[in-house]
Amino acid sequence: MSNKHLSRRTFLGAAGATAGVATAGGGVWAALVRESAEQSVLDGIGISSTTTTTTTHAGGTAMPYSDRVLVVLEMAGGNDAINTLVPASGLYQDARRDLELPAEQLITLRGTDYRMHPGLAPLADFWNAGSMAAVAGVGLPGQSRSHFKAMDAWWAGTAGTPSQTGWLGRWLDATLDGINDPLRAIALGGGSRALVGEHALATVVRNPTDFSLRTFPNMDADALIDAFLATAEPLATTTELAAAQEAIPATLEAVELLASVSGDGTQEAGFGAGARRGGESAADLLDTVAGIIDLGIGTRVMAVGVSGFDTHADQLTRHQDLLADVGSGLAAFFDRLAADGNLDNVMVVTTSEFGRRIQENGSLGTDHGTGGLQFLFGSGVNGGKVVGELDLANPVQGDLPVLLDTRSVYSVALDWLGGPTDEILDGPHDRLGLVA
Amino acid sequence: MTTRDDIAFLARRAVWGLAPGQLDVLEVAGTSAYIDALVAPAAAGIPVESSPWADVDFVDDPELGVEQGLETFERWTTHLSETQRPLENTVAWFWHDHFAVSVRVVQHLPTMINHLDLIRDHGLGDFRELVRSVSTDAAMLVFLDGTTSTGEAPNENYGREFLELYTLGLGNYTEDDVRAAAVALTGWVVRRRLDWEVQFIPRRHDPTPQSFLGEMVDDVDSVVDVACSHAACPGFIAGKLARFFLGSVSDAAVGEMARRFEASGLGLPVLVRDILEAGVAGETTPQVVAPVPWLIAAIKATGAVIEPRARIGLLRSMGQVPGSPPSVGGFPGVSTWLASSATAARFTAANMIAHVTPDSAVALTLAADGEWDGLADLLLRPQGFSMATLAALRDLSAGVSTRPGEAALALALASPDLLIA
Repeated sequence: MSNKHLSRRTFLGAAGATAGVATAGGGVWAALVRESAEQSVLDGIGISSTTTTTTTHAGGTAMPYSDRVLVVLEMAGGNDAINTLVPASGLYQDARRDLELPAEQLITLRGTDYRMHPGLAPLADFWNAGSMAAVAGVGLPGQSRSHFKAMDAWWAGTAGTPSQTGWLGRWLDATLDGINDPLRAIALGGGSRALVGEHALATVVRNPTDFSLRTFPNMDADALIDAFLATAEPLATTTELAAAQEAIPATLEAVELLASVSGDGTQEAGFGAGARRGGESAADLLDTVAGIIDLGIGTRVMAVGVSGFDTHADQLTRHQDLLADVGSGLAAFFDRLAADGNLDNVMVVTTSEFGRRIQENGSLGTDHGTGGLQFLFGSGVNGGKVVGELDLANPVQGDLPVLLDTRSVYSVALDWLGGPTDEILDGPHDRLGLVA
Repeated sequence: MTTRDDIAFLARRAVWGLAPGQLDVLEVAGTSAYIDALVAPAAAGIPVESSPWADVDFVDDPELGVEQGLETFERWTTHLSETQRPLENTVAWFWHDHFAVSVRVVQHLPTMINHLDLIRDHGLGDFRELVRSVSTDAAMLVFLDGTTSTGEAPNENYGREFLELYTLGLGNYTEDDVRAAAVALTGWVVRRRLDWEVQFIPRRHDPTPQSFLGEMVDDVDSVVDVACSHAACPGFIAGKLARFFLGSVSDAAVGEMARRFEASGLGLPVLVRDILEAGVAGETTPQVVAPVPWLIAAIKATGAVIEPRARIGLLRSMGQVPGSPPSVGGFPGVSTWLASSATAARFTAANMIAHVTPDSAVALTLAADGEWDGLADLLLRPQGFSMATLAALRDLSAGVSTRPGEAALALALASPDLLIA
């Protein structure tokens, strides 16, 4: 037998031994990372035009736009608005006979007619501090009940036929200045389609805990990685091949970056029964986001995707798990930002492609609806309030009416980054009093 | 295009790779003989193959769930790399992507295996029969909640995806059609305690005739018939299957395929043959290769022996795990296969494959000898590597001190060239 049979342990052992390849190698990509880090340092001390584009926000401190970060947390599958932000109305009990959340477990939201799902309890302090707001009955014109159509529209941030670019991708295009740095926007776990621009690059990592370049111990790792990088140039004339080439240097940079934030990346995800639907937890992904923010390498936009919100059946348990992950994950994220001194630099916006039907469906779940729910967090948010309404009394085809346009929420987010906003979102759209 | 180019094209797109030497043999027989053998293997004397899971006898033990799950999907990748009837398996993969049933939702391996056998057995047959079978298949009834849908409280999940994703596509039906389908499809139940047997329970079914796509329906047969007879169905399926094999395809070409597909009574062999012939005639654009076809082609070309668990692990890190499409929309597309995570994982996988390629393999000899055109041809790129990859291979083999053949083979497999078919 000349066949070599490789055991998994051998391979993982080898991987462990060489996990530092990218960091130790110190190739071209490392220089690029350093370059962008230096760039953001210059921006931070306001040498360039940033001095003229600062604003004074609630705390009274001037914060340059270039220090500000937007995090978009996508709750994919269609989060059930009514069981997340529970309206104080008898109509709720009527519609949710089996899925009604026990009143004594709900979190009171001062000054509103709503109470919050217990999974989001860790966020109550932010609500009380006025740095968390809810936008209820939100959607896009012609809001669809199809996951795909709705997601396309939400990523695009356009009414009617969705554009090929995403709302954040258009912002990246509009603010592209000098080096086209793929680390300016990073997607972790999902939600990456919003980052698609015509020109601007972005970095997409589906599974950050398993993200590295590995070779065997007896191989010349540096030479192999350099050669891999060399296959990227010169760029081919075929679009598809050129895209495959361009992915390589961007990948090497991103590996370097994440290795410095989250360790050696050899962790194995679970498989089969019991594994989370859709991958990594919000808590893990957000922790990585906090690490990247603290590196200060000029990353302005991060999309984080968690999935599993398509709760057609067995909703009570599943929704509890999902919201507890989001609630505790966000709270831990804000704690870490505060400890790192970054809390005031970050705005978080949640999205979900639709809300669910008002009436439960008989499978202890809920079907696709239209009107949805978003949350905003941060020092730039005028919070402690629910804008809009989950209007159970005036259903449209059994769904919550769409009363507000999510492009209003997107406008608040892009304003936070320094815009331009209205041209990207075909505005102006009402900011709904959400800006602090 | 030469015959060799045409056969390499078919082998990349429809077969997912060839073992060393096969390209020479097929070139002698010619392109149309190859298409005949792919579409009608029985007529070409290629015997029927048993299910990859024919001899599986799983113990229903949650403790063994993970091991058995790995074995189930590892068997599928083995079968894909060894089958003598590749087209029925790549088409079955298309249906896996199309129906997108996930074991993570089904949570029962024998039921998932039955589903995979079903889409393989019917995948190159009659489309109407395929859709009819899937509609009351236990895995699908669990996956899209048909089993909990009753006349009193119809669950719309299957009815909606049936119209949007499986038969007609968006824009060809209304919300009322979704509701009508949901009502007519009620009554089918998976009896988990009876070995996951599917039963029709009349008292859970609402037999009231429903207006659906302009016709009246009251059960699964009439719903499937009406949808499959709808004018939008042949074009929707033809377009999706054509794009799977060919990349972008003109509306005119899809229209012609749809016309012949409809005239054949929705016979999938007719459609698939038309698609392959259109591709050879030039109706195709470069395609980004998904991780499973990439891995299968690399295994075939090198003869690499990868430990089963590691094989699934590599696919997971590249973003495509057999049996687990991430959403009902199926596996993600180009943006995921080009994402940083998939790019890094491809490099790692290529290193692993090269490392476990037998010393006697042609691929390793060609790589060690710097026979770059020969290596490209073996990897079904008879036109050679791109300029960038060729230069990188030359520099690497000149500069590397340890195991130059293995290093060059790893680089060739990881190269952008192999990501484009």
